[in-house]
Amino acid sequence: MSASQAVFSGWMEISESAVDERDRQHAEEAALAALVSQYAGTLYRVAFSVLRNAADAEDAVQEAFMRVLRHRDTLGEVRDQRVWLIRIVWNIVLDRKRRAKTRPETDDVADLARVLPCKGLSAEEIASAAQHHAHVLACVEQLPPKEREVLMLSAFEELTSVEIATVLGITESSVRSRLFRARNLMAGLLDHARS
Amino acid sequence: MKNSNQDLSVHYVSHQDLSSTGEDTLRLIAGLPAPAGLEDRVQAGLRAAPAKARILHWPTALLPSRGLAGSWMRSAAAAAIVVVVAGGGWGIYSRVQPSQPARVLVMPPRVGAGGGFSNAGAMRTPQTLNGPVLLHPAPVQPVQAKTPARTAKTPLSRGQAAGKAAVQPVAPVAK
Repeated sequence: MSASQAVFSGWMEISESAVDERDRQHAEEAALAALVSQYAGTLYRVAFSVLRNAADAEDAVQEAFMRVLRHRDTLGEVRDQRVWLIRIVWNIVLDRKRRAKTRPETDDVADLARVLPCKGLSAEEIASAAQHHAHVLACVEQLPPKEREVLMLSAFEELTSVEIATVLGITESSVRSRLFRARNLMAGLLDHARS
Repeated sequence: MKNSNQDLSVHYVSHQDLSSTGEDTLRLIAGLPAPAGLEDRVQAGLRAAPAKARILHWPTALLPSRGLAGSWMRSAAAAAIVVVVAGGGWGIYSRVQPSQPARVLVMPPRVGAGGGFSNAGAMRTPQTLNGPVLLHPAPVQPVQAKTPARTAKTPLSRGQAAGKAAVQPVAPVAK
């Protein structure tokens, strides 16, 4: 008896296609859970480096995985899932930063000292380091957006220049040239502040 | 982590350069650990999310997994939509008349208003194009006058002179 005949006769409530659909959903959920456990930490660090706010960074990670959930049908077509996820969260945090009216949490030196690790340092050294970091971050904010993005992504040692180029949608040579300009600009800004 | 010469040029910076360009701070921030329980919270958020976002929610009875009944109803719904769209289009098409060609309006003769100047019966004639010009005009045959021209010595009466002048043929130009 075919599936359609079974439906009309009424004795078969679950068709074979429904069972396949359920299996497929279970497989997709398992794949998504694996992605979360593997890359949530990386995505959080990328989000925090831009937003510098723990709650906002966690929200961005959540939103990134929600987008993945919406497009889970195409998950099998993604070649490099890590770079793909970083690209998603990068676009989310840039969009949030553009729309955000409030300043980052770590713009305050005291908050920065609380967030950054400072083992084996005295209280005076901790305050001095926090002040230095706050000043560096203020200089980073003065960079042109293109150079700033490359500089911030280059801080992640697990990202190669090719992967940075993929995340930003540019060529690898552009990554190098922008990074070179960003470093020169940062050195100039920091020297100017010291003098 | 991939190690290649290309990667070294991006990430390998001396300690002094790191501090001079401020990259030590960026690397410090990039290396901050994720908060504990992040994965669990994300998983919980994903479980609480709706199963699948769709623009149109098909009723359960119309899902393809319901077999032939569902597909039949979907086909009927699609056919009904096609009929409605085609009927609406035909209704609009049948109401719209094709545009008529421009008609020549015959203007009524102008009635002279009281006062002012009249046109004295003059009609405006449009300018016409210059016709073709003959390069070699045909020879004109001279018309023979039947009656010899009167001389000025025998004057005519006023009525006769006027009648003669009206019917007097034009003498051809002698070459």
